[in-house]
Amino acid sequence: MNKLLILICIIIIATSPFFGQVDISMTNIFKQTTVDYQIFWDIRVPRSLLAFGVGGILALSGMVFQTVFRNPMSTPFTLGVASGATLFTAIGIVLGFASFLSLFAFVGAMLTVITLFVVASRFKTYETSSLLLVGIALSFFYSASLMVLFYVSDLSQSYEIVRFTMGSLDVVGYSDVNIVLLSALFIFTLVYRYKFELNLLLTSYELAHLKGIDVQKTNYILLLGVSIAVAVCVSITGPIGFVGLIIPHIIKTITKQSAHKLIVPIFFYGGVFLVFCDLIARNLGTVSDVPIGVITSFIGAPFFIYLIMNRKKA
Amino acid sequence: MLKIDNYSSELLQNITFNLEENQNLIILGSNGAGKTTLAKVLCGIISNQEVEIEGINPSKVYGDKRIKLINYIPAKLEIFDEHISVYEFLNLSLINSDMSIDEVLKCLDIEYLKNSSCKTLSSGESQLLLLASGILHNAKYTIFDEATSNLDPQKVKKVFTILKDSKLLQTKLIITHNLAMAYKLGYDIMFIKDGKISFKGSHDEFFSSENLDKFFDGSIKKIDDNIVINL
Repeated sequence: MNKLLILICIIIIATSPFFGQVDISMTNIFKQTTVDYQIFWDIRVPRSLLAFGVGGILALSGMVFQTVFRNPMSTPFTLGVASGATLFTAIGIVLGFASFLSLFAFVGAMLTVITLFVVASRFKTYETSSLLLVGIALSFFYSASLMVLFYVSDLSQSYEIVRFTMGSLDVVGYSDVNIVLLSALFIFTLVYRYKFELNLLLTSYELAHLKGIDVQKTNYILLLGVSIAVAVCVSITGPIGFVGLIIPHIIKTITKQSAHKLIVPIFFYGGVFLVFCDLIARNLGTVSDVPIGVITSFIGAPFFIYLIMNRKKA
Repeated sequence: MLKIDNYSSELLQNITFNLEENQNLIILGSNGAGKTTLAKVLCGIISNQEVEIEGINPSKVYGDKRIKLINYIPAKLEIFDEHISVYEFLNLSLINSDMSIDEVLKCLDIEYLKNSSCKTLSSGESQLLLLASGILHNAKYTIFDEATSNLDPQKVKKVFTILKDSKLLQTKLIITHNLAMAYKLGYDIMFIKDGKISFKGSHDEFFSSENLDKFFDGSIKKIDDNIVINL
């Protein structure tokens, strides 16, 4: 069963570049002069790689957030990283810097991360719930600021902002893909290196302390690393919801194992899930792609609810 | 040596005492007196400047050096992830014991729990699991916070023999409300009242009739060689 599932996933990834608005022939993809070659290698393949990398990062980040905050509802966007990116992208759009939007998004996300950690360093006692509350407060502040921007922007600018918030895996060439895959490698290595610490954090903070871990430092390193990787993703694709929330839960529910043992599956299936959703998004509409966030939620939410309803107490 | 020098907080006042290696101690006191807080201060869960164990402050030092010195066994098992099994949980405590996980589980008669999820254990079983983790960790000083509060009488007896055994664990600090057990263990006694140490001394001195009346307002009596609650 497990091997079959992995095989199906690999087939999904491998065949995903062949499907889309334009049919391409197998023979043409190795002929450099054809249009099919360009569509396949410059648009479809990078897009699948991007989807896989972003899906993996978001799913793994979700697992880390849920562990560190001990809250099953945490997502990579809980601390306001996505809203920071969205706000700054909107600022970029309104100011007319159309070609630097990714940079704006990244700066917005990183400023959020920095603000959070500066605030956290002033906490009198260490509590992750305080950090969570600050993150949520920041999100609301950003949303309000975004409203102001909508208010002052013209119709086409508003439209562009809305499109960013829907998320998109549109990509041409490999420069963005390489950045995302590097981030994926970085976050995967970081989380893997902290496997033992995660195991302890999944029991209790007190136990982690008693087994020699500096809980505060560990949490901050994990959150910072994850937030940077998420910031990179959001700056390139916009916020893509739901992957980070549901994939860790789905994998845990199905395998009935503790999360620290599931670093590879969570990353892998997160990636596959986004490739699969993107495949649907690209082939459903007749004129243009359906926003990826719509598909992740439409597929993810019912399946997620189904799993929760059928969950037996372990 | 374990030292705490004039520690004060909202709950505790001027806590000062020394504990030599192998000098076991029983900590008594009414609910809310500050016993658990003191335990968390001693093992560094509550950050402080005043505790020193063999030259190390347990809230400032991390890693191997500290974990071999002190361990704390809480009254309740706290676990976030629902899929961590008993075996996986104990695996985290494999630090300083000659015994294997299987041997410790057998010693406590809970081998049958080995592959269960920690979340499904009863309160008594969780307490035995915590005790097992303490034996495996085997720190120089181990603090037990109400290690027997949820156990049936046979299990209390079992835990009593483990706490009495000098080979299984090194120095023990035992917080308890079970005076019968405290009496039979025969270790030194510390009594905490309203955040202050109101007694620290030998077993015999504490269990004199005057002291029992003084500390328990007549609700505890010594009859023959047993401590009973005077209902």
